[in-house]
Order: sequence, then structure tokens, then C-alpha cells
Amino acid sequence: MAEVKVKPEVSDPMDIENRIIELCHQFPHGITDQVIQNDMPHMEAQQRAMAINRLLSMGQLDLLRSNAGLLYRIKESQNASKMKGSDNQEKLVYQIIEDAGNKGIWSRDIRYKSNLPLTEINKILKNLESKKLIKAVKSVAASKKKVYMLYNLQPDRSVTGGAWYSDQDFESEFVEVLNQQCFKFLQSKAEAARESKQNPMIQRNSSFASSHEVWKYICELGISKVELSMEDIETILNTLIYDGKVEMTIIAAKEGTVGSVDGQMKLYRAISPLIQATGLVRTPCGLCPVFDDCHEGGEISPSNCIYMTEWLEF
Amino acid sequence: MTQAEIKLCSLLLQEHFGEIVEKIGTFLVRTGAQPLRIIVSETGLLLDQVKKGLCVLIQHNLATYQLQKRGSVEYEAQCERILHILRYPRYIYSAKTLYGDTGELLVEELLLNGKMTMSAVVRKVADRLTETMEDGKTMDYSDVSGTFVRLADTHFIQRCPLVPDSPQTPEAPPPAAPTLVIDEKEMYVVPRLNLVGKGKRRRSCEEEEDGERKVKKQKQGESSEPPPDDGIYWQVNIDRFHQHFRDQGIVSAVASRMDQTSSEIVRTMLRMSEVTTSSSAPHTQPLSSHEIFRSLPAGYNITKQILDQYLTLLADDPLEFVGKSGDSGGGTFTVNLHKALVSLATATLESIVEERFGSRCARIFRLLLRKKHLEQKQVEDFAMIPAKEAKEMLYKMLSENFVSLQEIPKTPDHAPSRTFYLYTVNIVSAARMLLHRCYKSVANLIERRQYETKENKRLLEKSQRVEAILASMQATGAEDTQLQEIEEMITAPERQQLETLKRNVNKMDASENQVDETIFVLEMFIESTMRK
Repeated sequence: MAEVKVKPEVSDPMDIENRIIELCHQFPHGITDQVIQNDMPHMEAQQRAMAINRLLSMGQLDLLRSNAGLLYRIKESQNASKMKGSDNQEKLVYQIIEDAGNKGIWSRDIRYKSNLPLTEINKILKNLESKKLIKAVKSVAASKKKVYMLYNLQPDRSVTGGAWYSDQDFESEFVEVLNQQCFKFLQSKAEAARESKQNPMIQRNSSFASSHEVWKYICELGISKVELSMEDIETILNTLIYDGKVEMTIIAAKEGTVGSVDGQMKLYRAISPLIQATGLVRTPCGLCPVFDDCHEGGEISPSNCIYMTEWLEF
Repeated sequence: MTQAEIKLCSLLLQEHFGEIVEKIGTFLVRTGAQPLRIIVSETGLLLDQVKKGLCVLIQHNLATYQLQKRGSVEYEAQCERILHILRYPRYIYSAKTLYGDTGELLVEELLLNGKMTMSAVVRKVADRLTETMEDGKTMDYSDVSGTFVRLADTHFIQRCPLVPDSPQTPEAPPPAAPTLVIDEKEMYVVPRLNLVGKGKRRRSCEEEEDGERKVKKQKQGESSEPPPDDGIYWQVNIDRFHQHFRDQGIVSAVASRMDQTSSEIVRTMLRMSEVTTSSSAPHTQPLSSHEIFRSLPAGYNITKQILDQYLTLLADDPLEFVGKSGDSGGGTFTVNLHKALVSLATATLESIVEERFGSRCARIFRLLLRKKHLEQKQVEDFAMIPAKEAKEMLYKMLSENFVSLQEIPKTPDHAPSRTFYLYTVNIVSAARMLLHRCYKSVANLIERRQYETKENKRLLEKSQRVEAILASMQATGAEDTQLQEIEEMITAPERQQLETLKRNVNKMDASENQVDETIFVLEMFIESTMRK
């Protein structure tokens, strides 16, 4: 009887790799070693390991750690081509930055996540920046901090500060100008309403302006280079409320009316202050900076108060 | 009593009543209730002087006495009442606007004398009014009594507590200090007097002969018998005036926030609840819109519908001065007195912050009032102020105690890097702090005024002498040239100095009254909050 040698099936390494890639595509969240083993039970562990390593070095698989062990995940193809020239450490750092999304990540946090020494990190970051894969954005909160994010991502509002910041500088003049414009608009509306002299209900209702109207007015004025959203206008109107010049009410509006958000509309109205300047501040003592040091017979006393002398000469 | 209050009390007492009363008053304010012997020994005055001084204080309702258990009588000074002396001009002015010159003089006489009988007041005021009228005309007592009755009806003046006429057995000794009682219903009842007569001038040489004789007869007739209302003394009802000022403040706030008509409606509502609501209630009695419509002043002819609309607008306004309490009678409305006082006090605080620190600080202050507690970063975001400036302003306000910090630790060891620091505004404590500052400011103004007067004493005396000489010479009919000579005794620069002095003193007086307005608002607010 001739011995039939059953040659162990030497699967083509390419086939193994393709099979693994197919499996990865089937489970986009990642597959464990167990899954690969179940699929190709006749494969030896060594061959499996070799295939996986090769895929990893080619950049087609991602290696992740999870509770169940190691996970392999397919990587998008275009990134795979980019990373051809970089080594593993760079890939790791790049991955971390990618995960941070558009908020960016600080260099110290990259170090914690990747466990790489600081010098290495800096070298890698410089490398990646020169390859135009990542960029550094200065944070507006702490001006010395730099966060890194992918090159083509738009930084989040919390980092740049949104419409009020241009190059990390708070544009207070811009805010002031907008402030005054909104107030003038509301004031003229209230004036017009008062002069119409109809019955008081109509007068009051017509002196209200919704936030949408104010937004449209500001856009048409064209004083802003940056496009402003309705929320931006609402923050400006809030500052007017804190100045005591404007009051706000919220009414229920039908869904679909212009400017309504979730069935509500905010209305704003210019108001005049409740009282005139109060009595205390009409005397020098009300505004005196050395008030606490003043007493009869001392260096500073009512009898020789220079503020009073000046005030009396008016 | 704080230092500032004691200082102010002593200045006021000195200015109005003199050194002795000032010493007694200040001692009592500083140390509370004391028996007579201790007052004598501590102030170093004679017993006689102390007795007279205490009489003055009690007559003007500035001090009270109490019979202690062991039989001694302790005297106590009312610090608040002494501080109300500052407000006398305002009381007199309101009486003038409400009841004309007669009312003004009646209130002035009562304030100057503390307590008086009706007949005495009426006679005095009639005399004073006759002085100012043209020759030949006199003021009738009935007019003055009419105004007096009206003042009593609207509770601006009230009867003083009396000694009760309880039958005393001859054996029991009279108590060391009588206890005074007054029945609530009796407080505003005017006794029926037939006050007949007219005011008299001081210089009766211009009156006709007949008039003189009649007047002499009347005088003799009156002095022989005591006036019919002896023992019924009247005093000014300070609380009622305060109520009136508070109402005025609310009405003017409504007028500036909304329009004239709304303020008239609120004024009508407040007038209707003047006598029915006690001064310490948080809201007035509910008033139906029909009643309000009927009580509107005659000049206002708005239709019922418009009135209803105005009332709805007032009730919906974020100010919350007027609240709707029900729907009966076309809608019942009340005026929210407590909320109104809170709004007025908050507006005062905001105005003070704005004037002292600038409008951006005022923005931060109002922001903190609305949002109660905020972190540093949130303040910058909401107020849209650059971080550096916001920090500076917050620290400045913190150092002046307008805002305070609340620490919320994240870890038990309260490490500063791991604690939240929240800024917050406490209205009541800020109000108290400002009230104290107001008292000190008024004291400063009074001192400065006295200092200015003292500096120019010589000049003032000289001008007074010259005026006296002028007056006497005019009376004896001197020639014009002689009068001119006397007038030239005061040189031109001296005259200018006098002018400046007069202007300065007037200015300081006026500003004392203005600071007093702030004091009033803050005092009312603190009282109303404490009562809740």
C-alpha cells in the first residue's frame, strides 16, 4: 500500500492575508485572534502570526487592545498609502491625534497615551507637520498651549473661540459695535411703536423684535466680515440685557414660523432705566476712593477734603 | 448702633437741640436704656439739665421711658427716630404738595414742637399765614382746621398716647412713670372744637381800631379758661409719610419704565389701599378692575377696555409690580410692594456700581445678579468682555465687597487648584454696606457745612449786624443815602464771599436730602426683607 502523504495544505500566504482582510471587512469593529482561528482552523499559529504581522507592517490592519485581547481592524485605504513612509511610532502618534477629532490634543496627552519619551514625540510631531499631515493650533483658553489636530480638520469653536476671536485676540471693538447697532435697532423700533399711539397692547407688541429680525438686520448692515449665526446675535443681545437696556420674553411660536427654535421665539425690546442716578453718587463721598480713611481730625477729613472743594466750585 | 449712625445722631441732635441734649442723646444711643442717675453721672451734667434734656427728647418722640420691675425708670433713645430728623424737609415738602401751604405749615409746626394740641397748632399756623398775606386779609381758623381734619383723616397725623383715666384709689401711690395708652380707633378722631377766630399779625398797628378792641377782648376771654381739647396732643405719623414716599417711588419707577397712563393707574391703586393696608404688608389688598375704573382721577377718560389692557400689561411685565390675584369682578389686582422695593433697591445698587466703577462693571454686576453664581470663565463668556479686563473689574468689586466668592472644593483638602471659585452677589449685605456708607456721607456733609460756616463766622456776624441796623433804620424812616452808607459797610469781595458761602451751604443741604433718598430706599428694602 503506497503511503499517501497528505501534504499539509500550504495555504498561500497571500490567501491567508486576503482571507483575514475579508474577515476584517465583515466585522468592521475588529476581530480577535479567536475569530481568525475559527475561520481557518487548519492554519498554524505561526503562519497566522506572520500574515498578521505583514498586514500590520503594510499598514492595512490596525492593532488595538480590548478587554478580550487583541483586536485587528481594517484601516482605510487612503491613509494606508500615506503612512507608507513612516514607521510604527509615527503611525501610533498619528492615530492618537486622529482620535482626538477636531478638538485637538495636547503634546503631553499624546505622551501619556503612547508611552513614548518626550524627545521622540517632538521629533515625530515635527516630522508629521512637515509632511502636512497634522497642524498645531493655538488654544484660546491658555495661550501658551498648542493642540495638534489633523491637517484638514476645522478646529472646534471651543479652541478658537468662535466668531468673536480673530487670531486668538478677543475682538472687543467688534462686539461693542454690534452691541450698539442692535440697541439702536431696538430703540428705533420702540420709538416707532410709541408714536403710533394705538391702544397699549398693540403698542407693546409692535415694539418687540424677534432675534431672527435682529439677525437679518445685522446681516444686511454688513458690518461683520465673519458670518454670524443666530446664536451669536443672541449672545450679543444677552449682553444688552445685562446692560439693563433691553428686556427679553419668550413666547410660544408655531413650528415653522421664521426664526422659531423648538417651538419658542425670543423677543427683545428696548427699555429705559428704572431710576435716575441715585442720591448717593451725586455727592463726592459716594465716589470717593479714600472713603474709609476719612474721619474728623485725620489727614483726610471732611473739612479739608479736596474732592468736596472742587465739587463746591462747580 | 454702628459708629457712623452714632456720629450722625450726635451731629443732628447738636444742630437741632444744642450741646446738652446732644450729650444725653449720644450717651443713650451708645449705651442703651439707662436710669436717670447713671445718665447724670456719666455725662457730667447737672441733674436739672439732664431732666430738661430728657423732657425735650421725650417731647419730640426721640426717647422713651419704661418702668422697670424694681421700680426704677429707664430711659432709652430711639436711634432710628433721631435719624429721621434728616428727613423732616421731605415730610414738609410732601405735605405742601398734597395740602398746600396750610398743610405745609401745620406739619412744620408739629415737627418743630413734637406734640401739640389742635387748638394751639391751628392758632399758630393761622397767625403765620396771616403774616404772609396781604394787608387787610386774615386767615380764618376754619380753613386751617379743615386742613387739619383732612390730615387726620388720611392718617398723616395721629393722636399721642394718653394717660388712661382709670379711677385711682387715694391710698395707692401714683406710679413712678405713667404708662400711656391709646386706642387704635381713637388715633385719628378729631375732637369737635369750635375754633372761631382769625389769625393775628405780630405788628397790629395796621389793624383798625375796632378790630383791635375785639381782639383784645377775645384774648382776655380765652386766657381765662383752658382750651377745650386740653390733654389731646397730636403728633406726626412718620410711618404714613414713609408709605407715601414708597408709593411715590413705585409710581415714578412705573412711569419711567412704561408710560404715564400706567403710572396713573398704579397711583390710583396705591391711593385706594392707603388706609386699608398696613405699611408692613407685602402686597396691597386685592382690588377689582371695576373699582379701579371708578376711582380713576376725573381727568382721565380712558375706556374700560383700555384700562383692562393696561392692567394686563402691568401684570405681565417682567417687573412684576402688579400681580393678578383672581378673576372675580373683572380681574382682581394687587400691587406687589415687597417686589417693588426689591427692584428699587437693586436698581439703586446697580446705579451706584455703574457710577463708581463704570458701565462694564455694571454689566458684570447685573449678570451676577441674574445668574446668582458664576465662575471666572463663565463671567467673561457671558459678558463678552476680554479676560484681563473682566478679571480686573471682578477683583475691584470684590475688594469693595460688592461681590463675594463662594468656594466649592473638589477634594477634601481644599487645594486651591482643585476648588471651584464662584462669584456671587448678596443683595442684603451689599445694601447694608451701602447704607452704612450713606450715613457716613451725610455726617461728612454736615461736618463740612459746619466747618464752612465756622470759617466765615466773622463775615456772617458782620452781615447780620448790618442787616439789623438797616431794618431798624427803615422802621424809623431813614433817608436813602443813609441806608446806602450802611450797605456799603460790606465791601464787594465780602459780598461775593457771602454769596459763595450761601451757595455752598445750599448745595450741601440739597445733597444731604439726596443722600437721604438713597437711605430711605435702602432702609425700606432691608426692613421689608427682614420682615419676611
